[in-house]
This record gives sequence, C-alpha cells and structure tokens, in this order.
Amino acid sequence: MASSMYSKVDEYGFERPESFDYKQYGNFLSQYIGVLAKRAKRWEDLKPTDRFKKTSTLKRFVRKGVPSSEREAVWMSISGAQEMQNESMVQYSSLKKYMENTTITEMIKIDIPRTFPDNIYFANDSILPEQLFNILATFAHHNKEVGYCQGLNYIAGLLLLVTKSEESSFWLLKVLVEQILPKYYIRSMSGLLIDLDVLDEFVQKNEPALHRHITRVGMPWAVASTKWFICLYAEVLPTETVLRIWDCIFYEGSKVIFRVALTLIKIHRQQILEARDLGEMVECFRKMGQNINVVNCHQFMIEVFKTPSSFSNRYLEKVREKHSALRST
Amino acid sequence: MANRTSAAQRPNGSTQGKICQFKLVLLGESAVGKSSLVLRFVKGQFHEYQESTIGAAFLTQTVCLDDTTVKFEIWDTAGQERYHSLAPMYYRGAQAAIVVYDITNQDTFARAKTWVKELQRQASPNIVIALAGNKQDLANKRMVEYEEAQAHAEENGLLFMETSAKTAMNVNDIFLAIAKKLPKNEQTTGPGGSGQGRRLVEGDSGAKAAGNCCK
Ligand SMILES: Nc1nc2c(ncn2[C@@H]2O[C@H](COP(=O)(O)OP(=O)(O)OP(=O)(O)O)[C@@H](O)[C@H]2O)c(=O)[nH]1
Ligand SMILES: [Mg+2]
Repeated sequence: MASSMYSKVDEYGFERPESFDYKQYGNFLSQYIGVLAKRAKRWEDLKPTDRFKKTSTLKRFVRKGVPSSEREAVWMSISGAQEMQNESMVQYSSLKKYMENTTITEMIKIDIPRTFPDNIYFANDSILPEQLFNILATFAHHNKEVGYCQGLNYIAGLLLLVTKSEESSFWLLKVLVEQILPKYYIRSMSGLLIDLDVLDEFVQKNEPALHRHITRVGMPWAVASTKWFICLYAEVLPTETVLRIWDCIFYEGSKVIFRVALTLIKIHRQQILEARDLGEMVECFRKMGQNINVVNCHQFMIEVFKTPSSFSNRYLEKVREKHSALRST
Repeated sequence: MANRTSAAQRPNGSTQGKICQFKLVLLGESAVGKSSLVLRFVKGQFHEYQESTIGAAFLTQTVCLDDTTVKFEIWDTAGQERYHSLAPMYYRGAQAAIVVYDITNQDTFARAKTWVKELQRQASPNIVIALAGNKQDLANKRMVEYEEAQAHAEENGLLFMETSAKTAMNVNDIFLAIAKKLPKNEQTTGPGGSGQGRRLVEGDSGAKAAGNCCK
C-alpha cells in the first residue's frame, strides 16, 4: 500500500483521476496505513473458526475491512460461494469446457479489451483478459436466464484483480448474480428497474429536500444510479472504497448498496442543492467518487453504517415487492 | 424546465445572438461507436478501447450557426439490447437523435432501422433523426453499402452521413447538419417545449458552455 502512495496508479493498477488530490490522499493514507496494520493484527488473532463463521464479531470485522491478503478466502466463505462450489456436482474446469461459440461469446469478446483498458494489469498482462473471457463465457453458458449483461465484465474484472484466481472469481460472480443480488442482469433487467424505484422511495423518506430538488431538476435515478447497482460501484468510486463496500455486500447482502447510495447522497447534500440544472446535477453525481470523504474509505464506511437509515433485508424485500406490484399494474 | 426568453446583455455589455438548447440522444447497437462519436465531438479525443456505456452518459457541447448558438444536451445511451427498457427515458422529449451503426457489421444496420422505427412511433413527432454509418475508416471491411443506407435514409426522411470517430471524419458535420435542421424560431418555444428547442440567453445557467463555441 505504502508503495502506491504517490503513484499515478492505485494498488490494483487503476489510474487515478486527473484531478486527484495527492496531498489530501497522502494525509488519509498515513492514517489508513495504521488502521490497516491494526486490522491485520486483529484478523490474525481471530481464531480460525471465527474467521469464517458468520457471527456478530465477524460482521463487525468485515465492516471494518477485510485485509487484502484475506479477501479471497473470506469472500468465498461469507458470500456462500465456497458452499456453492462445494455442492456443485461439477468443477469449474469441466464447466469451462462447454463454452459455445455464440453471439453471446462474440459480444463478450468485443467487451474484453474494453474492460479496464487503462488498468496496467489488464493492459500489460495477456492472461487476465483471457481469464476474464473464460469467466464471463462460462457463466453465460450456464446461466441462460442472464447470459451476458454488460457491467458483469467490470465486476468479474475486479474480482480477478483482487483474488488473482479465475476459479474463485467465477464462483463469486455466480453467487452475486444468483443469490446475493436481485434480478438486475436478466434480459428485462426487472430487478434494476425495481431497485431504482426503491431508491427513489428511500431518498424521499430520508432526504425529502434533496429528493424534491433532484425531481425539480428532472434527473431520473436511472441516470445517476444504474452503475451503482449494475457495477456495485466499480468504475464509480475509488477501488479501495469499492472493495470495502464489497466486503459488506458479500456478508450482508444487497441492502448495503442502498446504504452506500444514501450516504453518498447525504454527504453531497450541499453540492446537490447547488446543482441548478440537469447537466450540473449529473456532473455532481459523476464526481462523487473524487470527494476525499469517499476516498477516505474507512471514514466513509463508518458513515455508511452510522446513517440512521438502517433496515433489515426483510424490510427491503417488502419494499421491493411493493414496487414490483406497482410496476406490473 | 424554465423557459427564459427575456433579452439580456452580456456582462461586457455587448448584445448577442440567440442561444437555443436541444436535447439529442444517441442510439444504436453496442460497440458501434456512439460514445466515441460523442467523445470526438465534445473533447476531440478518440480511445482505441472505449469502455462500454452502462446506463447512459450526459454531455453538452455548443456549436455556432450564423447568429445562433446551439447548445446540445447529449444523451449517450447503452447499446446492449437489454438496456433497451431504459432508452425511452432518454429519447422522450428529445428534439434530435443520431442512430448509429457500424459499416462493417450488417446486424448493426438492421438494429439501426428498428431504432428509427421506434423513434418514429414513440418519440416527439418533429424529432430530427440522423443516421450515422460509423467506422468509415474501416471501409475495406465494409458490409453495409453506402447506397443502401442512403436509400433507407431518404425513404425515411433522415439525415445521413458516414462518419469516423477515429479520424474525425464527418463528426462535427453531422452535429452541424442536425443543428441546421432544427427549428430555431422563438414563437414555437412554448413552455415544456415539446419537440422544440428552448431558447436561452447567455448568462443563464444553461448557456455557460458556450465558450466552447466556434472552435
Ligand atoms: N476503427 C474505428 N473504431 C471505432 C470507431 N468508433 C469507435 N470505434 C471503436 O469501437 C469500439 C466501441 O466504441 P464505443 O464508442 O464504445 O461504442 P458504443 O456504441 O458507445 O458502445 P456501447 O457503449 O457498448 O453501447 C471502441 O473500441 C472504439 O475504439 C471508428 O470510427 N473507427
Ligand atoms: Mg458507449
């Protein structure tokens, strides 16, 4: 981590935005390195059995960040991907054999060089693009309802950069799409449309003044937030912040997406109110990832779980059902 | 949407021509080059590997036509079929559309035709539609004949050009041609402005990008 302090790319090979504030980042990093060291020590001290059992201790640990060296194993375990892999009758290596040459694989082929073209690992390494293709094509072949949805390439790509394992990335992608997230990626994208309505309701409840202003300016949620749901903030927020969010999504489920969304909106209250037209509003949302309070992933995650909008997955399901019914009438 | 037509002076005191603002949407199959065309038009850049658009992107650019400044509010949409359900949100109320296909890929031309049909049925009745046959620099791999596309454009009353986001060929031209064809008379800019440009005056929040004008 320290080595990337003044580097133009982050630890995962992503270029920092042009307007990146290295000074502020340096300040944050000098603190965060301490946090990381402390967390790594705490994880080391966890009993092996506690590392992977979903207890309130582990939940607290996950919210404070999974050490990057532990992410693959912890994600596999807390997400249910490990279980899915264990229970599968077939191994990934044999699943992989059945990729077909279809229009879907053509589509995926086109998207491979378009996935993270500026990432130094994707640009300079021939194995990563090939692995990404294998994951997406295998997944598409075995999940006919989803096939390939643009956006999955970014999720699978980041999974690969973190886990460095094609096989783990495949199972993590599969568990996300098939178990953790609603039906975002199927042909009708119904889960996405519903969650955009749910977000609208949550913002209206939690931030009525902001909601009124955003509505007055005329920005549909689909414009600002489609990527939030589809890419799980990859390509939207800084990498380290995204991974801290993913830690929690793998543990707690898709409600985390909403808590992050509401926090983003809350901490940009002033900028949102100052946006006078659609162009300014879209720009305001587009730039949220550059805010130092978002770059500071540790503080940001504390903020996410402090926001009074805590709710259960059961409650979220009820709101989703309501909007699903409203949509079909 | 405020519709401000009151005469105003520039900060430096000189009077100036009218400013019209139009909503333009780009539609077409994935990877035909919609984002690349916008990037070329707005920033003068081209990326060999342009990332696929998820949802939509919004950009603005201004062009000058005689005494009129035309400000485009550009919606660049996602091309993959399944994002189709989100598209009406972007073409609703649009005064102009560029339907893009890739001249090296016949399927993308078929898709462009269905987009044109959908716009003619569902979008504003006066919408100005341009058909862009992109990747003209790859003419040696051409699968869609110029004449075929031109005939389709003529039958349907579309503007038509072959473009290249890579070499910049016809990129500014197609936006300019659209700007020329859009109605700019102020009587028709009623509140809500369906199908018509909103006329603004410099100094309005909406017109601040006019500095990019006349490059
Ligand atoms: N040779 C050539 N390549 C182009 C041209 N325009 C775009 N491309 C390339 O085609 C690919 C797709 O371009 P995009 O602009 O992302 O296409 P898009 O229509 O926005 O695609 P989606 O966002 O997925 O709907 C990129 O790799 C571009 O570099 C062109 O005029 N000539
Ligand atoms: Mg695009």
